[in-house]
Amino acid sequence: MISFLKISQAVQDGDENEVIKLVEEGLKNGMVSSDILEKGLISGVQAIGERFKSGELYLPEILISVRAMNYGLEIIKPYLINTNLNKKGKVIIGTVEGDLHDIGKNLVGMMLNGNGFEVIDLGVDVPPFVFVSAIHEHKPDIVALSGLLTTTIINFPNVIDAIKEAGLRNTVKVMIGGAPVTREYADTIGAEGFAENCASAVDEVKRLLSLSNNI
Amino acid sequence: METDKERYLAICHFERTNDLFTFDGFWNRTLSDWVKQGAPKQIFDGGFRANYFGYGSNYWLTEIHSGLEFSRGQVLDLGSGIRIGNWGTVPIEPSYQPKIISEDDRTATIINGGGQKVRMFKGHTGKMPMYLEYPVNNRDSWKEYKKRLNPDNPNRWPEDWKAYAERVNKIGQEMPITLQVGSLFGFLRESTGTEALLFMFYDDPGLIEDMMDTILDMEMVIVKRVLRDIKINQAAYWEDMCYRAGPMISPGMFKKFMVPRYKKLNEYLRSNGVDIILVDSDGDITKLISLWLEAGVNLFAPLEVMSGMDAVALRKQYGKNILLQGNIDKRELAKDKEAIRKEVLSKVPYLLSQGGYFPVVDHNVPPDISFENYCYYINTLREIAGLHKLSF
Repeated sequence: MISFLKISQAVQDGDENEVIKLVEEGLKNGMVSSDILEKGLISGVQAIGERFKSGELYLPEILISVRAMNYGLEIIKPYLINTNLNKKGKVIIGTVEGDLHDIGKNLVGMMLNGNGFEVIDLGVDVPPFVFVSAIHEHKPDIVALSGLLTTTIINFPNVIDAIKEAGLRNTVKVMIGGAPVTREYADTIGAEGFAENCASAVDEVKRLLSLSNNI
Repeated sequence: METDKERYLAICHFERTNDLFTFDGFWNRTLSDWVKQGAPKQIFDGGFRANYFGYGSNYWLTEIHSGLEFSRGQVLDLGSGIRIGNWGTVPIEPSYQPKIISEDDRTATIINGGGQKVRMFKGHTGKMPMYLEYPVNNRDSWKEYKKRLNPDNPNRWPEDWKAYAERVNKIGQEMPITLQVGSLFGFLRESTGTEALLFMFYDDPGLIEDMMDTILDMEMVIVKRVLRDIKINQAAYWEDMCYRAGPMISPGMFKKFMVPRYKKLNEYLRSNGVDIILVDSDGDITKLISLWLEAGVNLFAPLEVMSGMDAVALRKQYGKNILLQGNIDKRELAKDKEAIRKEVLSKVPYLLSQGGYFPVVDHNVPPDISFENYCYYINTLREIAGLHKLSF
């Protein structure tokens, strides 16, 4: 008997073959695709995120779990055409100008995707005007800035200023992350959000979205 | 007068307290900015810096290609503002032929000496590149790459070994001698890429074991040959396997894959009188320290404060079982004199009083630390150690 719990567990185990088998069987047995997504696949990634935050699991387990989830997602995608996949929120993410690091940014993007958010990844070395153009084009809820070095995170305020100058500051929340970044620094530069790692980034996005909804 | 070697060993063996033995690494841009700020032009020279800032000396046997490579001190100019060589990679022999593949106004995509395809900013040798592709991505490419980890390749060794050993042993009368003994996780990451490596721990653990064994075998041959003719005092691993949230792999995986291999090499080193075994890993290494100690490693650097590392707490927790290097918060040194003084006074007096500690900035000194601030930092350290202030 296929259950959402089994799909979730297979995602947590990072067992993509089991995920593929269970999702295919679930669809054959009349499971609703959006339920497979929410109660099986996303639930699995959420559980792994919690276990990561508690220190039980590490990056390899996150990676294989998200990969397994994506295999399942590919199968149900055709069935999700009429479902609002992006209802959870839209996040633009990028590494700021002068910085070519992408591992942390990619992990955050993966975890957000795995939790049902739409992620638009602008890549690395992204100048402020590109963030602004992307806000115009995609109308995100959140802009997430990444930087690894003490010498490049000084570009975070430039992006925030550019968003302000474009008159878009009230349309998005800004969150920041990277090795030298702290909540205190986020407060100093006027970023609403800060995440220490890829799993807490998901919580922070949810928190910021709840703030947006309260406006 | 005591030699740096005697001081270094006495500090490491907790036979001496309150002795300031400091040194630092630098980003290139830091030094060029400092010259603009009034530092002497000779500041680019390591020997000059050591004398100028009153550093302790430690001779690393970089002529033997056993550890993280820095293009043997050379910077290659590929044209178009692309100069490479200041970034470390695996000590492969032969290395790959560096070349530019494509470029735009600000960046160029190149193959570097480590076989990595990277995108770099033009005109900035010190900036970390963006890694695009790696030389090892499956068992076939590993089979090819593995040939470059032959310990017997003559290019791995100084040409006239006897003369080299004599020269180094003479240096070793004055300075501690350090041999790099490679890396288990770090070298794998440099050859496969972080993400691919982390997947590999689940997808092909046998390949991980083969890669680690190949490196271990190479290092073992090198160590045996070196110890036959050269007296070394310190062995140094480079791993960089942690980030601000902790290790990239679980302590369980570390114990399974890495501890037994470290033990094999470290037991040999220790049985041959090398009892200072360093590991350099950025990030929060807290969860791995006890396992590294179990594996025979006892000196830890750079203890990054921004990742939560606290040398005072480590000294209190591990006592004389641990040697510490670093933990001076680079972010505080970039602020003002008050912040620098507070940072130094918060830990250095206690740590020096206990022995087994080397005050070092927690990673290379970045360009946002001004020359004036760094000079103030050095003199604050000296004040604590009861040394006269230096004139800069």
